[in-house]
Amino acid sequence: MGKKKSESMSRALVRQETISGYLFLLPSLFFFVVFVIYPMVMCVFTSLFDSTMGKDTQDTFIGLKNYIDLFQDDVFLKGLLNTIIIVVVSVPTVCAFSLWVASCIYQIQDWACSVFRCIFYLPVVTGSVAVAVVWKWMFNGYYGLINTTGTGLGILKENINWLGDTRFALGCIILILFTTSVGQPIVLYVSALGNVDQSLVEAAEVDGATKLQVFWKIKWPQIMPTTLYILVITTINSFQCFALIQLLTSGGPENSTMTIMFYIYHTCFKLFKYGYANAMGVVLALFIAVLSAVQFKLAKSE
Amino acid sequence: MKRILALLLASLMCVSMLAACGGNGGTNEPPASNPPASNPPASNPPATQPAGDDVPDAPPADSGSDLTASLTLATYPVGKMTDEAVINELIADFNAVYPNIEITVQYLDYTSGDDTVNAAIESGNAPDLIFEGPERLVANWGAKGYLVDLKDLVPAGTYDVTVSSCTNDAGAVYELPVCQTAHCMGINKDLFTEAGAMQYIDEENHTWTTENFIKAVEAVAAIHPKVGVVFCGGQGGDQGNRALVTNMYGGTYTNPEHTRYTANCEENVKALQTLKDLNGIDFDPAIVGGDEIQLFCNGTLAMATCWNVSAAQSDTQGKLANFEIFPMAFPTESGDPLLQGGIWGFGVFDNGDANRVEAAKAFIKFMTEDDAQYTKIVEATNFWPTREVEGVYAGTDNEAIMTEYGKLVPFMGDYYQITLGWAEARTAWWNELQNIGSGAKDVQTALDDFVATANAAAEAAE
Repeated sequence: MGKKKSESMSRALVRQETISGYLFLLPSLFFFVVFVIYPMVMCVFTSLFDSTMGKDTQDTFIGLKNYIDLFQDDVFLKGLLNTIIIVVVSVPTVCAFSLWVASCIYQIQDWACSVFRCIFYLPVVTGSVAVAVVWKWMFNGYYGLINTTGTGLGILKENINWLGDTRFALGCIILILFTTSVGQPIVLYVSALGNVDQSLVEAAEVDGATKLQVFWKIKWPQIMPTTLYILVITTINSFQCFALIQLLTSGGPENSTMTIMFYIYHTCFKLFKYGYANAMGVVLALFIAVLSAVQFKLAKSE
Repeated sequence: MKRILALLLASLMCVSMLAACGGNGGTNEPPASNPPASNPPASNPPATQPAGDDVPDAPPADSGSDLTASLTLATYPVGKMTDEAVINELIADFNAVYPNIEITVQYLDYTSGDDTVNAAIESGNAPDLIFEGPERLVANWGAKGYLVDLKDLVPAGTYDVTVSSCTNDAGAVYELPVCQTAHCMGINKDLFTEAGAMQYIDEENHTWTTENFIKAVEAVAAIHPKVGVVFCGGQGGDQGNRALVTNMYGGTYTNPEHTRYTANCEENVKALQTLKDLNGIDFDPAIVGGDEIQLFCNGTLAMATCWNVSAAQSDTQGKLANFEIFPMAFPTESGDPLLQGGIWGFGVFDNGDANRVEAAKAFIKFMTEDDAQYTKIVEATNFWPTREVEGVYAGTDNEAIMTEYGKLVPFMGDYYQITLGWAEARTAWWNELQNIGSGAKDVQTALDDFVATANAAAEAAE
């Protein structure tokens, strides 16, 4: 009798806990569905229509035409290529540089480590508009800091139009993206390296392992989850590079800094081709998903 | 107990977050069966003020007090139209006659304003009133059917050219013109004088011939290598380089009917080739109109093509210059320039509520029909009136500069920015200027490509 009562109370308690759990989840679930799932579904749905959102215009179902047109659109292909270049250059550099900086600073005195973390994290917390304005001034082709310094030191023969020259513009964007991207990985790596099991490190050192061997055999495997996370977020951030392009080059000159993200914005909000822009959004999401999956797979196999 | 408290807090958070998702709750939304806003009930007082009729000094107070509505006015930064104090004063004037019409103001900028309005339209919360120019009101939101026809509100004495610029092919007036300006060039008079280039300028009329323009640029380039730029960074200010190109040898940008783009004419090819070959002029894809103005005002450039009276009066632009800025018309062979105009005014979004549309129209009538009130709003825009009215800027601090720049207003040319496909055309224009500047394409090919792209967009928009 007592056992039955206890079981029934236990079940009631579990049910109560479950209901409470779901109730706690409900607000975030609601917002997730309304602001993430629903727009995603609408994005895929609208991409199948010739949608311009005109008040008196009827959207026509055109199937996969937007997707077919995409791959015949020179600007989209240029944007795709530029986006891939940004990702391929930016992701490894950001990861390698932040790991190097973190390795250098994680064992120094606490206050010094905090100073470095603060310095590298500053561009992350600074608004992208402010960052872009400063860089725009530095790259200014008439009186920018880089030109003034370069010509003053004799490194440059004449001023270079950094953001207006197809040879340099994308490189400048990647450089700025790099400076705004390294802050968070450095903080994460400092934390991850600090959590490496010191007994293993000491044991390896006692056994005569070199610093490089200690790093690759002991530390690297232990910071792999952090590396994976950094790889994924840096890849996504690089794919979604928009604000810098919008504020600095608008995709020019001659589409040399056009990215998929900026082209989506331009097509959607300047040309009002919503269906076409949504198709680009779907393609971009697929690219990011596939690349993230590959990164997870590779990291797991290691 | 703790759990209940936590649940209550979570619910409160949820509800407070949802509160932000609400529409403009202050208004009493009508049932869907309300008559369309463009057809107000027959009992409404007639809004028409036939041209030539006497216009009353002010709307009668008793007609105003009957109207009750809550409106949103969205305004772009035209002169002081985003200055809160100025706008509040205008609204206070209106509310003195229409105390039951509440107006909430949304201040927009040219970087994100379009996106804000488009997002509002999509969410069913479009502003009731909007203050902007024909390229947005007529060629964009009007063409898409979002705006109400305002031809019954056009006051007597309004200049035909301004009304026609705000009218679509079907005769619907989607913008009630309030003010106008002529975009012009600005030159660094100190530098031009030092270079001996003022001899090429008709100082009284602020004009120059194309031949003299070239001579002036060459003279200034001898002492100051950066004379001017054909900026092609891709965001705004294109009226400057369009006007320069089309004026130099009398080319056109669109046909007179505003249905097709014609910028690949031989006159424009010649103009762009001349600019490309001209020592002292660079094609610069790294800068936009605003940058050109800054470079001009800080003395880096000797002239600006994206100049106007607002820039001249701006604390962060013209007033920063430590030299005399002299306004100029664009150079022409004939000496008879056709300047690119700016015509700004009110549009009314059809939000499906006849009462709100009527209230919005009452606001426009109040601001534009009475001479004193109209003078006040024109002065707020810092530009010139679009209808006959005496005494604008008289006795104000701006009188001298408005008189000087006002000499250019009669040169106002065709307002072709309402041609369909404008957004695509604009993008293509920047791209092709960049191609010309870098030498990726010759001028004729670039302009042919521009026209092909722009006309395809115009055709698609029909």
